[in-house]
Amino acid sequence: MKFKQLGIFSKASVIWLGIVMFMVVFGQWIPLPKPTNFDIDAMGVGLFDSLKHPLGTDSNGYDLLSNVIRGARPSMLISLISVGIGGLIGSTLGIISAYKRGKLDYIVNTLFNIVLSVPALVLGLALVAVLATNPDPNIEVPTSRRVIVIILSLTIVIIPILGRIARGATLSWSNREFVVAARSMGMKDSQIIMKHIVPNVLPAIYAVAFLAIGVVIVVEGSLSLLGVGIVDGVSWGSMIARVRGDLEYAPHSMIVPVVVLALTVIACNQLGDILRSQLDSREGRL
Amino acid sequence: MSSLLSLSNLRITFDTPRGQLAAVRGVDLEILAGESLGVVGESGSGKTVLSRASMGLLTMSTAHRSGTVVFDGQDLSTASREAVRDTWGTGMAMIFQDPMTALNPVRRIGSQLSEGLRVRLGMSRKEAKKRSIELLQLVRIPDPEKALRKFPNQLSGGMRQRVMIAIALACNPKLLFADEPTTALDVTVQAQILQLLSDLRQELDMSMVLVTHDLGVVAGHTDKIAVMYAGEVVEYAETKELFANVRMPYTEALLNSIPRLDQKSSGRMAVIEGRLPDPTQPEPGCAFASRCPYVQEKCQVEHPELQKADNGHQFRCHFPLGVAR
Repeated sequence: MKFKQLGIFSKASVIWLGIVMFMVVFGQWIPLPKPTNFDIDAMGVGLFDSLKHPLGTDSNGYDLLSNVIRGARPSMLISLISVGIGGLIGSTLGIISAYKRGKLDYIVNTLFNIVLSVPALVLGLALVAVLATNPDPNIEVPTSRRVIVIILSLTIVIIPILGRIARGATLSWSNREFVVAARSMGMKDSQIIMKHIVPNVLPAIYAVAFLAIGVVIVVEGSLSLLGVGIVDGVSWGSMIARVRGDLEYAPHSMIVPVVVLALTVIACNQLGDILRSQLDSREGRL
Repeated sequence: MSSLLSLSNLRITFDTPRGQLAAVRGVDLEILAGESLGVVGESGSGKTVLSRASMGLLTMSTAHRSGTVVFDGQDLSTASREAVRDTWGTGMAMIFQDPMTALNPVRRIGSQLSEGLRVRLGMSRKEAKKRSIELLQLVRIPDPEKALRKFPNQLSGGMRQRVMIAIALACNPKLLFADEPTTALDVTVQAQILQLLSDLRQELDMSMVLVTHDLGVVAGHTDKIAVMYAGEVVEYAETKELFANVRMPYTEALLNSIPRLDQKSSGRMAVIEGRLPDPTQPEPGCAFASRCPYVQEKCQVEHPELQKADNGHQFRCHFPLGVAR
């Protein structure tokens, strides 16, 4: 599908995600006030009040625009990496188990259901509590370790979600006649999976993966808000967490990261929907 | 001529919630090199299961096979899975009923066609492309180079079935199973595809098993015909002999149910009353007894054996046609 054929809403989503990805890649080199420097002369500057701080500052004098831009990288990378790894593991498991059926399928499906029954937030809280805290509260846990644990917990959340999608799609595709036809030509199972099953299952996984990215951004933000995410205010979620007490006298300092986060999630969902509708129309043409 | 495929006492049963379903009940068949056999029967008579089981394609855990399948001197019923797979494509190949579902919708014709060539015959990309074009020419597809780059949904049903035939022929099989190759196509295309299959069989000197529910389809295109009913071969003869000298009441009923131009258009079409017996509950007598117009008491109690008559004609009936009863 070409960009021109998209509706206005979809176009906006694609453009917005493009901007976000630009911030992820080049955000560090954009000449802006350092996100970690607070401007003692401009605390709580409102939206568009000052040329120096276009989106204003929060009550501590941190520049919101630069924080939002720098926050894109951790927020997006955490969700992209966990959806990427989780999707890879989940769909591999799902496709193989659904193709082979039998005991393997039963075991994998049961595991998926068990993991699905644990709420994402509870899992994240538990993992951070166990793996990324120090018995001695005076010694700080390095941020990188927290990030890895958060990615790990989000990956575990994603595996069964995408795994079940892959499993379901494989179940329906592996009963199609062309799979029997490929077998009747003497193709090995591994060749059939790679050449016949995967190309058909992939679009469904893409579509759900985009929805999952949106979900993961929100979960990461919620973890930050609960104080177990990235604490020092470098991701969007932790920006919201940092200013949660200031809603009364500097509401824009919360509105800015919330709007950015919401727009990104909506754009991801929209892109997932575009992919899914394309999938439907191709099915319809058969 | 030497025997290419021989089935002896082949039985296929499926586990179902209602018990054992016997889809094929003791079939003996022999296909000689270069010969074509038509397998005819109504829906549910076990034709498709028979052809898939002969190839060994029924691998679901609920399917059970007994009896022997010997292909080209090799007993496939005792061979390893790998050995059976080695015969697929190069020894036996199959054309499927529905060309709409038997091609992968997301891959181009070219890659699906060259897949077998590259994997089974170890051809390079270039050789495979050259051979693919030859194959598409062989099945009379116009502008083969352009067709290679198309997706299945860009081709018509007849063209897709030609592609299916080209894929099946890719590795020069000795035996081609055509499982209702024309059922999903309209009548004019049917005739073309059948003619193509017969021509190709002679050009390439293959054997062919043509599975269909339409006696008219096999009439002009096969050397021998096996009529199946309820998982058994009920009549087997050379095509000419069968049409000249029908012995089995079921075959006669099948022939009578073909609509004819000289029938009154206002009259009812001839049908075979009743339906196939429940395959999970085999009856002691003849499977066709409940629908047979010539049924007698013996038919209800004693299962008829396959009898051999002149000219290699075989039939499974206590009171065959053409004999005073």
